[in-house]
Amino acid sequence: MAEVATNEETSNTVEEPLDLVRLSLDERILVKMRNDRELRGRLHAYDQHLNMVLGDVEETITTVEIDDETFEELYKTSKRQIPMLYVRGDGVILVSPPLRVGGV
Amino acid sequence: MADLDSVLAYTANLMSDIDKKLMIVLKDGRTLIGFLRSVDQFANLVLQDTIERIHVGKQYGDIPRGLFVIRGDNVAILGEMDDKKDLTQLQKVSIEDILDAQREQLQRRDEETKLRNQAMLERGLQPHGDVGSEDTL
Amino acid sequence: MLFFSFFKSLVGKEVIVELKNDLSVCGILHSVDQYLNIKLVDISVPDTEKYPHMISVKNCFIRGSVVRYVHLPAEEIDVQLLQDATRKEVAQLKSQQTAQVAAPSK
Repeated sequence: MAEVATNEETSNTVEEPLDLVRLSLDERILVKMRNDRELRGRLHAYDQHLNMVLGDVEETITTVEIDDETFEELYKTSKRQIPMLYVRGDGVILVSPPLRVGGV
Repeated sequence: MADLDSVLAYTANLMSDIDKKLMIVLKDGRTLIGFLRSVDQFANLVLQDTIERIHVGKQYGDIPRGLFVIRGDNVAILGEMDDKKDLTQLQKVSIEDILDAQREQLQRRDEETKLRNQAMLERGLQPHGDVGSEDTL
Repeated sequence: MLFFSFFKSLVGKEVIVELKNDLSVCGILHSVDQYLNIKLVDISVPDTEKYPHMISVKNCFIRGSVVRYVHLPAEEIDVQLLQDATRKEVAQLKSQQTAQVAAPSK
């Protein structure tokens, strides 16, 4: 089947942005989200909207609070672990393919 | 007319709620309660005998609003009311009282946000999130 | 259609839907449609202090566009199957694009 052959040919090349996401399947990736959220997790599924399913996720939320008296900004990060998470694509800012060094 | 199956595919979800008393949360955070009389494939709604319910802390108040057609994309949640789940932990107050409480709450939030945004701007940070952003979608 | 099918396979399971306004709703997945609107039954809201209006609701319809996350039951999900389905869907989409380029008359 010609169709299959084409798929084989393109399976390891990067022609369009989402090809890079395809190559990250079953790898741990970093997803930066709106509202100062970051996700690190294993990519199990995605579609053209960047809806995703991630496994063993660590979410990091960064908040800035201003101290009432000193006007110092206090950066706070809170983390939580989520075993399996569906992420709606419209909140995604960027996807960073496998981080190999330092561990994720 | 589009074929019936495809229309039903995305309205089937709401058709079963017709004539029930529903709570609708709009994207801007407002809460309406009324009887669902009609829906279409865009989730546009007709609500009859609608009230707007305002919650501030443990208090709430109801404002009669009447008949509504709501454009579907303003809707965040539709909930089926269960009268068995009681509201005894909440206290019903008059319209005037709840509006006063709401105004106070908004002012407080507004001031907090202003203060934070100002401080952030002074430090070259991009403020984000407007007043009441935690309620809006 | 990947996620539509995926969510259909999770009907009857318990999930937590987290909205963009930080409200989390826990419930049994009752149905889903092509826009990924979600219907939950037997819901509970962990933070009723902050969201008192949800106390008297038992079932609800959540518009897909207001969803941020859905927390899924990890033990119910075959990740290998999911990855294969993703590859298949992507390949299918690509071959459709190629077909359109090859026959631009339409």
